[in-house]
Amino acid sequence: MDWFPLWNSLRIATIATGITFFLGIFAAHEISKRSRAAKGFWDVLLTIPMVLPPTVVGFFLLRLLGPHGLIGARVLEWFQVKITMTWYASIFASVIVTFPLMYRTARGAFESYDRRILDAARTLGLSERYIFWRILLPGCRKGVAAGAILAFARGLGEYGATSMVSGYTPGRTATISTTVYQLWREGNDALAYQWVFVNLAISFIVLMSVNFMERKKR
Amino acid sequence: MIQKIRFAAYSLAALMTLSACGGSTAAPTQEDGAAEQNTAAEQTELTVFAAASLTESLTAIKETYETAYPEIELIFNFDSSGTLKTQIEEGADCDVFISAGQKQMNALEELITADSRVDLLKNTVVLVAPKAAQNPPQDFTALNQVDSIALGNSDVPVGQYSQEILEYLGIWDKLNADGKITFGSNVKEVTAQVAAGAVDCGIVYRTDAASEPDVVVTAEAPADSYSPAIYPAAVLKDAPHPEEAQAFLDYLQTDDAMQAFSAVGFDRP
Repeated sequence: MDWFPLWNSLRIATIATGITFFLGIFAAHEISKRSRAAKGFWDVLLTIPMVLPPTVVGFFLLRLLGPHGLIGARVLEWFQVKITMTWYASIFASVIVTFPLMYRTARGAFESYDRRILDAARTLGLSERYIFWRILLPGCRKGVAAGAILAFARGLGEYGATSMVSGYTPGRTATISTTVYQLWREGNDALAYQWVFVNLAISFIVLMSVNFMERKKR
Repeated sequence: MIQKIRFAAYSLAALMTLSACGGSTAAPTQEDGAAEQNTAAEQTELTVFAAASLTESLTAIKETYETAYPEIELIFNFDSSGTLKTQIEEGADCDVFISAGQKQMNALEELITADSRVDLLKNTVVLVAPKAAQNPPQDFTALNQVDSIALGNSDVPVGQYSQEILEYLGIWDKLNADGKITFGSNVKEVTAQVAAGAVDCGIVYRTDAASEPDVVVTAEAPADSYSPAIYPAAVLKDAPHPEEAQAFLDYLQTDDAMQAFSAVGFDRP
């Protein structure tokens, strides 16, 4: 059995989660400091990718990353690299659809943290940076970790946008989800089932970890 | 006591509503015969599943046909023949099926009315490149030098033809091994990828190239490299409207309809 789709899906989800992790906590921290109105506005904007159908996200990404797109054309010019039809494009797609999950979970965790501890830190003269990295973040680590795991699980299951921007090339851009689709189209049910099983196993493990983390928080 | 009466009353109301629903589905079939004489006639919806490559030509024919026969409304489902075949097998309601390949129609042998099956059209397989491409491959044999190529997957007729052509030229295995092929799920997806410049080239039908301004045809596949791209059409055994379906299928074989088809590049088989 060609295990490339598993390797590809895992690396895309891992890299995307890494990017989303930092983007998500950065956004969550910045926006939790803003006014009510601003918070509302940013919340909507940053949560939209989660409610949009992945094909809509894929459509926009294709326009952006394609060889004639805003970003794609520049990258082609400067680095001679085409982003679409490669696995790099899948990373973009996964970051966009997983970002809202990380953002909302992190924001929830930050806002439920005891403000008084942060204020106490400020009275002791600690910098905002120290407070964020050494007090707030470690204090919210269970929530933030749960957000990261959810983002990873979602990134692993990305199909619509990935299929549109990366296509399907066996051995290069195939992910578990696009492989199952292809196998179904070819009528290769036996192999499709094997992949479904693999995906179920991974998802099971991932969600069990989320449960485990959340339980310990209480 | 009053509770029992209420219960009985509600049940009776529910029962009457349900039978009214059942009644209203029975009523139209009795009215259908009378409806043909009414000007405000109930429209017959004819469901046609057709290969994606027929999108432009059938859409043009729909206008002509519906003007000539106002009591018919044509509902099209355009997708790869493989997807449509699967949908029919899984029980989708369909009157007429037009496939881009014999294989998909053969798979539905049990579900079609055998003597309605005709070979409707012939298409030509071509190599296309993005219009803005600097150095497009000029020939099918030049394909082993491209960086990327989009093809239909093995469930799509044009994908099957592409594989035949590339195997005939002896470059299929190498292209696969080098990971240069991206497989699309229908011919329109392949065309869109070439049009967007996401791949260097693609193999589609001449009719798709004609309808997409952002691609150019660089070569036609040698005639003996693939089985003829014949489009069979048939009426389904379980068609909701078998007579109207056969009438439409007969119309598609007339010279009038053929005009719309040849305008985009189809030939008679």
